[in-house]
Amino acid sequence: MAAANPFQDQARFQRRVKPCALVIFGANGDLTKRKLIPALYQLALERRLPPGFAVIGNSRTHISDDEFREKMRQSVQKYLEDSRFEEEVWRDFASGLSYVSGDLNDPVCYQTIASRLGELDRERQFGGNVLFYLSTQPSHYGAAIGGLGAAGLANGGGWRRLVVEKPFGHDIASSRMLHDTLHKAFREDQVYRIDHYLGKETVQNILAFRFGNGIFEPLWNRRYISHIQITAAESIGVEGRGAYYQEAGALRDMIQNHLLQIMATIAMEPPAVFESAAVRDERAKLLRSIRVMKADDVATHAVSGQYGPANVGGQELAGFRGEPGVDPEAQTDTYAAVTFFVDNWRWAGVPFYIRSGKRMPKRVTDIAIQFNSAPHALFTGDTHDSAPWARPNLLILRVQPEEGISLRFLSKHPGSGMRLRPVSMDFKYGSSFGVRSPSAYETLLVDALMGDATLYTRQDMVEASWQVVQPILDFWAGRKFDFPNYAAGSWGPKESDDMLALRGHAWRTP
Amino acid sequence: MTATIRPEKILRELDELWVSLGKQENGETSTGVLRACAMTLLVATEGTHDEADVGETLASLMRDHPSRAIVLRLLDGAAPDLKARVLAQCWMPFGSRQQICCEQIEIGMTEPSLADVPPVLWSLTAPDLPVAMWCRSRRLLALPRFAPLVGLASKIIIDSAGVADLGDQLGLINTIRIQGPRVGDLAWTRLTRWRESIAQIFDNPVYLARLSALDHVRVGWEGEHVPMSALYLSAWINHCLGRNVPASFHREGSCERARVQSVALTGDNLNVSITVGQDRAMELHAGVRDAHSVFPSLTDYQLLREELSILGRDAIYESVLALVPQSAQSLETPL
Repeated sequence: MAAANPFQDQARFQRRVKPCALVIFGANGDLTKRKLIPALYQLALERRLPPGFAVIGNSRTHISDDEFREKMRQSVQKYLEDSRFEEEVWRDFASGLSYVSGDLNDPVCYQTIASRLGELDRERQFGGNVLFYLSTQPSHYGAAIGGLGAAGLANGGGWRRLVVEKPFGHDIASSRMLHDTLHKAFREDQVYRIDHYLGKETVQNILAFRFGNGIFEPLWNRRYISHIQITAAESIGVEGRGAYYQEAGALRDMIQNHLLQIMATIAMEPPAVFESAAVRDERAKLLRSIRVMKADDVATHAVSGQYGPANVGGQELAGFRGEPGVDPEAQTDTYAAVTFFVDNWRWAGVPFYIRSGKRMPKRVTDIAIQFNSAPHALFTGDTHDSAPWARPNLLILRVQPEEGISLRFLSKHPGSGMRLRPVSMDFKYGSSFGVRSPSAYETLLVDALMGDATLYTRQDMVEASWQVVQPILDFWAGRKFDFPNYAAGSWGPKESDDMLALRGHAWRTP
Repeated sequence: MTATIRPEKILRELDELWVSLGKQENGETSTGVLRACAMTLLVATEGTHDEADVGETLASLMRDHPSRAIVLRLLDGAAPDLKARVLAQCWMPFGSRQQICCEQIEIGMTEPSLADVPPVLWSLTAPDLPVAMWCRSRRLLALPRFAPLVGLASKIIIDSAGVADLGDQLGLINTIRIQGPRVGDLAWTRLTRWRESIAQIFDNPVYLARLSALDHVRVGWEGEHVPMSALYLSAWINHCLGRNVPASFHREGSCERARVQSVALTGDNLNVSITVGQDRAMELHAGVRDAHSVFPSLTDYQLLREELSILGRDAIYESVLALVPQSAQSLETPL
């Protein structure tokens, strides 16, 4: 075992990355420009990257190292959030940036990368530790993985890891194919499947909230919780991604991955230790406990929607079928709502309502835990604007945009008589911790570079998620929907409200 | 002696302040005021010259560590005199519709009235929350009548930068620790970036393997006298290595406040150095590799932000404190 660094101070120092290099495939793409390089620069600014850290960018475009550095500099200046651009820091960071052009189907591309890595390792001493990042179209994953394996890059002097971006297939069969492809070159412990939702501070805070406090966990079960609503709404439409989105849809794009991961985090059992394998085992166990619907159940447990044109605040918004690149007859779900049940002792009979949609009234992601009403309505004589016993206690975990936690409870309205009014107790990240929250990509990049897979998904989790959405996809594929069925700027189709009304529930207005 | 201020009156004024803020914010577009408090922060200072600086620091600090801030200001005067006022520090987080406010109480006191202050503070500290004190005045700490106030806090934060008599300062720190509270020193906090940069170099196994060869530490400083931070740095290296590495201290420039300017760790096949220039640009040299960064001058707010986030035991600092006299032996005048 390697000797430990005696200069460590865990109370004061930030988590740091040890010497290594990063190779980004798809370095000319949007993700690299908007997220990866700004996140890496931010880490350099906070001195969390090791001296000698190197990044090799790869794509088919022929550009020089200097041109690549200049492009990345412009990206950092444009997309860096909440921080200043420091010329000195950039110069040092940019000295580690280089570029290798090449086609992912061409073996020469990988030989060139291998040779560049060797040169850089001699110069910058990162001990052969390399993280490969697939930031390409999923259709190129196979070529890249095969190329890395054939060139011997999946194993080397130090550690080798691979980050893969979603989608991890478009159904169970294709996700298994991707898995097989990955394993031709990499072991499972080398593969980091990124779900950037899990990197968000507030999603991580769910674990802190549940397992760091003693007061909520005893209530966290079917006895006290009526139902749970998870909402991920976007106010924007497909924003030029129409061609991609019409093949994906909300169920595949959001629910199968991000929202089921959130649901697993909300509902999983406490792990014995806070270690990657233990946390991921519990998440996976929960995902496997979600009831898989029979075809007959889908009509009453899942709703598909697609937005139509509307005038919002004087602005004419096109319907999905009117977006550029979208088939005018597209059957794509731009809205999906599903009622899931978890078949275990803790959650038996508790509905988990999950919805996600585009062109909703606002951008919001939150989780609402609706507690049961008091068992006996003591204050039924109340004449306040609406009966308080109809509004049981509600705990809201806000993921974005105003990250925080609210607990709603009833309080006596001042004055004579017993009039009750709901009040809210608020915790806001922004007010309790003035420090900047790291972006999801900063968190996840540091984790992958440090070998911490806690916030990454695993193949068994991916498969379990596909398992629960596959019957819905199959059922919807065999139907012709009468789309559009909700107007842009609204909270989705009426059928979605009807789905909750079946159990006497209603969607919250976030 | 009788206190001329009554805590109940101050608490009532605070309540009225919240009601008034709530009313101001109760318009149609507002969602009210959020009251935030995670600790009591006592600020002990002298005179009125630093009112603006302290106010500005507290206003910034409230965003990171929402507190009930109580500023204890020692004023001139031979007669017992105490006076108090309450105010709120409010801000509107970007993109939010709700104003967040923290309470601030200012207590003016003369030296003869010091003994009346502890009972007032017993009533005013926020219940069930930690109490920290930022003491800006060495003279106050040395006053016997101030000792009961020191005992109220679980952590006392001082700043040894600018202190010429380091032996006396170490004595003061030990006296505080004997009274119970933990001590935080902003001179130590300023070293975090230096220490982190050194640690980062030895994350590399190549340098880590050479660490046993380290046989000399050279600390460069600027100012009129050796700063406490220079001794802390040398003592920290000894603490980390578990052995006494000979150190030398060299004056490299002059500035108003003494501070560390460079550090070099040398030995057989080991040559690591960090130097900060006048423009606060940092140059790190490790073997064949150079790296550059920036060590901007940190404000009291930034230093306190870090120090207040460690209210428990800082085991490393406590060990370093014990090793400082040993490190000081190579000074021209040991402590």
